[in-house]
Amino acid sequence: MTCEEFERVLPENEGGHTIEQKSHLNSCSPCSDLVADLNAISEQARFLRDTDTDEPNPRVWNSIRIALRQEGLIREPESAPFLVHSQPRRRRLVWLIPAGALILLMFGVVQYKRAPVQLAAQKPVLSSATSEIADASSLDDQQLLEVVSKHAPAMRASYAANLRDVNSYIRDAEESVKIDPNDEQAQKYLMDAYEQKSIVYEMAMDRSLP
Amino acid sequence: MMLNSTRAAKVVVILALAGTISAVGETRQQLHFKVGRKPNISINNQYGAVSVKPGAKREVVVTAVLHSDKVEIDQSHRGNRVDIVSHLLAGADQSTGQVDYEVLVPADANVTLTSMTGPLHAEKLHGDVVMEGNTADVDVRDVSDAHVHVKTLNGPVTLTDIRDGHVEITSLGGDVVLTSVSGPLVEVNSSSGKIRYDGDFGDGGEYLLTSHTGDIQATAPSYASIDVTARSEQGQVENDFQLQPKHTSFPIKAGSAFAGTVGKAASSVRLFSFSGKIHLKKR
Repeated sequence: MTCEEFERVLPENEGGHTIEQKSHLNSCSPCSDLVADLNAISEQARFLRDTDTDEPNPRVWNSIRIALRQEGLIREPESAPFLVHSQPRRRRLVWLIPAGALILLMFGVVQYKRAPVQLAAQKPVLSSATSEIADASSLDDQQLLEVVSKHAPAMRASYAANLRDVNSYIRDAEESVKIDPNDEQAQKYLMDAYEQKSIVYEMAMDRSLP
Repeated sequence: MMLNSTRAAKVVVILALAGTISAVGETRQQLHFKVGRKPNISINNQYGAVSVKPGAKREVVVTAVLHSDKVEIDQSHRGNRVDIVSHLLAGADQSTGQVDYEVLVPADANVTLTSMTGPLHAEKLHGDVVMEGNTADVDVRDVSDAHVHVKTLNGPVTLTDIRDGHVEITSLGGDVVLTSVSGPLVEVNSSSGKIRYDGDFGDGGEYLLTSHTGDIQATAPSYASIDVTARSEQGQVENDFQLQPKHTSFPIKAGSAFAGTVGKAASSVRLFSFSGKIHLKKR
């Protein structure tokens, strides 16, 4: 029997080997070592299955507690440290989980219903906090600044200022065109303003990436 | 005397060592490319200076000083096109990612320079020059028979002795200074940056200087031959020339606009600002 043949049939053996396989094991140390390792793993697995893995031996926790007390990491020697999982305490507190979830859910529903009022009340605070992009009125401007913030945060203020300037330019130009749609210079202002805005976008996208 | 020479020798050694120590971390690279007529050269350098000057006829020489090992140079040479890119590696910043380039190109090369911080410089070329920068100082000198295109957000732009080509400059906040710039088209579009022109407006070109809030000052000699229109929506305008009146498509409101011709009116000059001050000065 070759090693390859032995390894092929090994999984099929449960608890015993044929005469041929035993003969191979006696003469082949790699296969013999393999079988020994597999047997050791199998024994350990049975041991772990048979013991209560949810609760280590209390002596384990006790020795951990003593070590922590000696290190000065716990101050209440009478009470169990947070590392200790006491089964009775856990069983008493397990009902808190769904109760807590229910409370959070109710809180979320209440907050959602109050949201419009709260947002309106907070508007002045939000406005002042985001004054740097107050003029970057469009969603595109905000998204651009978010991209810049992500890749080159040091440039954000500069781009926000640039966007403020060009948006102001666009507004003034639009106002001029509105007053006199036939004014060629007003139309040129508007085109120039948009060209400048496109340059801001181009540079932010191309060169905000380090 | 022996003591002085010994001391002098020690000083020289110390200075030499100091120079060596200061250069630690910097590496110098030199690249050579053979090119044909009117090659296209592109340098993309996030942080650092780029200076382009004319060199040998069919060769591009790039000398780069890398300030740290957090940046490397990517080069590409395909036919008549040379692309150089400063490739920033992980952890690079404005200081460690800096590369300073000195580039010698054939005088007829078309050059494109891009940098966030710059400065960018080009001189004595006959090929197109394109420069883009965020805060980079842009300086172009002595370029003729070629186009010059500049885009900047906040970097100052200086053009000197530019002749017989199209000049187009767009600047958001950077000041633009044009000295002895003339050609078939000179156009400056600024948002808040000031525009300064000092020249004679050539012979037969179109000059359009426009700003949103930046002031515009144009200085020309008494012999300038121009057809000028100036208008500021919300700012003041001022004129030192005696203008021959002409018709305009908008009403001339004293203090806010003026229009007229000087000499044979060879070149068209339009100075427009939304709220900046406009001044046409006589040199």
